[in-house]
Amino acid sequence: MKPARFDYAAPDTLGEAVSLLERHADDDVMILAGGQSLVPLLNMRMARPELLVDLNRIAELQYIREDGEWLAIGAMTRKRAVEESDLVRRRQPALLAATRLVGHPQIRNRGTVGGSMAHADPAAEYPALALVLGAELRVVGPGGERSIAADEFFKGYLMTAMEPVEILTEVRVPILAPGTGWSFVEVARRHGDFALGGAAATVRLDASGSFSEVRIVLFGVSGAAVRLGGVEERLVGQRPGDALFREAGATASEGLEEPLSDVHASAEYRRNLAGVLTIRALGEAVARAGGREPGQEERR
Amino acid sequence: MSVQIPKTLEDFPNSAPRWVGRGVPRVEDPHLVTGRTEFIDNVVLPGMLHAAILRSPVAHARIVSIDINEAEKLPGVIAVVTSDDARRWSHPEPTVPEEWGTHCLAGDKVRYVGEPVAAVAAVNRYVAEDAIELIAVDYESLEAVVDPVKAMEPGSPLVIEEKGTNVMLQRVFTWGNVDGAFGDADRVFTEKFRWHRLGANPLETFGVIAQWDPVDESLTLRASVQSATHFGLGRAAVLGLPSNKVRVIAHPHGGSFGGKGGTRGTDVTALLTRKAGGRPVKWIEDRAEYLTGGGGQAWDRHYEVSLAVKNDGRVTGLDVKLLDDMGATGEGFGAISTAKPLASFTGPYAIPVARYDLTIVATNKLPQSPYRGMGPPPHNCVLEQMMDIAARDLDIDPAEFRRTNFIPKDSFPYTIASGNEYDSGDYEAVLDKALALADYGKLRERRDQARAEGRCVGISVVSAIEPGVFDWNAYAIVGVQGTGVPEGATVSIDIMGKISVRVGFALEGQGQYTLATQLVADYFNVGFEDITVVCLDTHSAPPAFGPGGSRLGVALTGAVLGACGKLRLKLAKVAAGLFQMDPEQVDLVDGKLVAKGVAGVEMPMAQVVGTMLARSDLLPPDVDPRPEATHVWTAPGRTEVDEEGRAKSYLTAAQAVHVVMLEVDPETGLVEILEYCVVDDCGTRLNPATVEGQTEGSIAQGVGAALLEEYVYDEQGQILTSSFMDYLLPTVYEVPATKKGIVVTPSPFTPLGAKGCGEGAMHTTPAAILSAINDALAPMGARATEVPASPNRLWTLIRAAQQPAAGE
Repeated sequence: MKPARFDYAAPDTLGEAVSLLERHADDDVMILAGGQSLVPLLNMRMARPELLVDLNRIAELQYIREDGEWLAIGAMTRKRAVEESDLVRRRQPALLAATRLVGHPQIRNRGTVGGSMAHADPAAEYPALALVLGAELRVVGPGGERSIAADEFFKGYLMTAMEPVEILTEVRVPILAPGTGWSFVEVARRHGDFALGGAAATVRLDASGSFSEVRIVLFGVSGAAVRLGGVEERLVGQRPGDALFREAGATASEGLEEPLSDVHASAEYRRNLAGVLTIRALGEAVARAGGREPGQEERR
Repeated sequence: MSVQIPKTLEDFPNSAPRWVGRGVPRVEDPHLVTGRTEFIDNVVLPGMLHAAILRSPVAHARIVSIDINEAEKLPGVIAVVTSDDARRWSHPEPTVPEEWGTHCLAGDKVRYVGEPVAAVAAVNRYVAEDAIELIAVDYESLEAVVDPVKAMEPGSPLVIEEKGTNVMLQRVFTWGNVDGAFGDADRVFTEKFRWHRLGANPLETFGVIAQWDPVDESLTLRASVQSATHFGLGRAAVLGLPSNKVRVIAHPHGGSFGGKGGTRGTDVTALLTRKAGGRPVKWIEDRAEYLTGGGGQAWDRHYEVSLAVKNDGRVTGLDVKLLDDMGATGEGFGAISTAKPLASFTGPYAIPVARYDLTIVATNKLPQSPYRGMGPPPHNCVLEQMMDIAARDLDIDPAEFRRTNFIPKDSFPYTIASGNEYDSGDYEAVLDKALALADYGKLRERRDQARAEGRCVGISVVSAIEPGVFDWNAYAIVGVQGTGVPEGATVSIDIMGKISVRVGFALEGQGQYTLATQLVADYFNVGFEDITVVCLDTHSAPPAFGPGGSRLGVALTGAVLGACGKLRLKLAKVAAGLFQMDPEQVDLVDGKLVAKGVAGVEMPMAQVVGTMLARSDLLPPDVDPRPEATHVWTAPGRTEVDEEGRAKSYLTAAQAVHVVMLEVDPETGLVEILEYCVVDDCGTRLNPATVEGQTEGSIAQGVGAALLEEYVYDEQGQILTSSFMDYLLPTVYEVPATKKGIVVTPSPFTPLGAKGCGEGAMHTTPAAILSAINDALAPMGARATEVPASPNRLWTLIRAAQQPAAGE
């Protein structure tokens, strides 16, 4: 289990990295961030780049900052840093909750925020989180910098809107607005595994207690994390309740396109899970929107 | 005067033993925790090459051609071997059952995904792996045999054509009047079970450095090998070398659990070193190789089990039909796992008659290997499910149902229907302690309350036997020969009074060097710092098997104490000469040689040894001036098998009761273990900390078996679980914290009364978890009969139970 031969470059600055990619625009280049997915792929020779550009020495890509209504997170920020960030804990608890579900501490010590986003694994937590929170992803390439909304960024199974010569530099996550309820739940065979399925939700309730805003994302159940636009629309204006959640779950389950099937769970199982998780995520998010912390009376 | 092996600690020549029976810190650990243990991959020899093995990507295909030209031309490649070399320099692999083997490199065809086809030795592993990509193999696809039932049908493709069948073994063993028992039963229960393929996954995979000596045509193997002697004999047979021309140096290794086979890879590496003119070649099995082509797969079973029961709750007969999917060949010796259940066929119960209808079938999958427990864990699991099915139907509490059927404590030694003899036990005491530890009454209240809230909670109370101290005769029904498994140790004292214990097995993790140190320290009344334990190579070691079959704690105790006893006699003789007394009048006491009944006439042991080695002028004329002794211990009283496979085989029978409470999430099928209590009786605990470690690890593996671990093959025989992303081992998050209790019923047959305990809870945990799941599912009328009980499987069962009309 040794990788095939490749060239290796480890630039110290973002500028150097960008010009490297530009110079090798015609070569098969891969970018190494935390390496938690790419290194195994290299070792199994499933990834065989000609050139590996290692971003780990670029200090300027490691930060977590408050920037107006956003948290700005450098792409090379380790997940462990997110987990331990006081800023994240105070400003975006959903990000903290999602981070704790990523693998194990050893993985979070190396894995990066940008790496997860750019890899776009359908069962990964971060793409789902970006979608549900409406994150923005900043990329830089030979043509300069651009910002891509999460809804536009994730294009399907391990696919993003980035060009091969572009580097993801920053993930911008909106700070949780007061009164917003959120949930991030998943079902995995073992703690820390890629999820058999997961759901993320944010909700806001109006003065009458009805939904004024709802966002729901499912991940791990199909080829990419997916927003449940139809379900969201039907919930807005309705009063939360078990019957409504069950209806939303049934819609999510029935509407799931091409559920994944593998050695861990059948497509049928994942279709069921889509509904179960939608119901659980809505329940949690509504509880939090009402100022209650879910789960005490409820079991995980 | 013959050597006396102490039956108890009171028999030691020591008035105040300090070490045996205590959870002392292990002598192995300082090296392990500082990274100084010499694992095989740390070893670098001058001129050493690195091997990579090209493995079959398909399950069943004819090999039309192999072209190695491009690989041989790659700079850094020194040797490439194919089946031509295998046929020139080796014989087919030895197997169980016999003659179900092939050469170490596939010749005319490949028979499973992962089978070695060719191999390269190069200056490093990277180049070696580059080179195997350059080997062009032309495969002509054949229909794969994947389903063992179909494999038995006439007209099925054959895994090994020359055999004319895929059935490796088919035989019915009947012990007593089984038909009569079932005819007379008030109730008969029958159920089918499926135990999916799983197996050992030690932290370290297998590794070897092979070095051919072209001058005297001998082979040296440094390897992470569990049983060096037998490994060496097997390699000599395969490679056509005299047994004394294969030397094995066993290295400390990171566990085995049955997975450290490594035979085929070693044979391939031996071909490489020979072709490379004697340069040493290292082969480290990587994890993908281990999972798809190594020693990690076992027990791929289809069961149909019937139980004959009387209305008063007595079980009067057991009928087990087993179809085991062995994979392509018998080279992994996995078939012995179908034989071992005879050692404890009826579990802890006095079931008077039993039948075993055994079929072993070859398919295009990786050959099975042993795994911790070696076969009884699935057997116990299905037996315990049947016990619960019967208890539920009779409306008897599962704990009381078991109590009714336990072998009574006054009937030991007890011969079970399948012929083995249990040494001792007090099963009711273990049960009572477990029920008290679990607070069983409260536990049931908690379960019933949870159920009233609509939750799916279940409790189990199960029991199983752990046969200890394996014997070859236990595997006679699958063609293994021999009775008795000798284990030797040499104890030697040097002129400075320091003691060496020389054994024939390497460190594997179970703390046996600590055990040897404890025994010697107490025997001679010295400190741990005065003792060192050394592993010898196969040219110099006494007869030894090493760890395996829950034997080494007992066997090593016998060997070490036997050697100590012989040395005691020798030292007494020398001292008697110095004291000018009769040898019978002198004995070892508290590390000194003393004249019995004569105050003040004594000499420290070191001084006696010093006299032996440095004052020949003082020695009596007939003294052998070697302050060392070797003892080879073999289990007493073992017998040859009869025509129905019955024998006194495993020497000891440890017993355990596990009480588990868990919850199933009916919406997802996920299981959460809420309580786990274990009480076990493995006789005298020579090092309680080690026993506890074995229990903990074994429960972890049992959790993996019950809920997570499964090798999955598709209909083409392609393996779908070739990494730890898909083959799921339990982690610290999945393994429950346990409450533990102990009962001690010493074995009358072993030194110090210890029983084998190395395989431990693996015998009981899968049964306990599946039983608790079934208790949780019982109110909805569902029953889980497949292991592992994955979320998908449980959810499917629950959904079918909740919507009975939908599927009908």
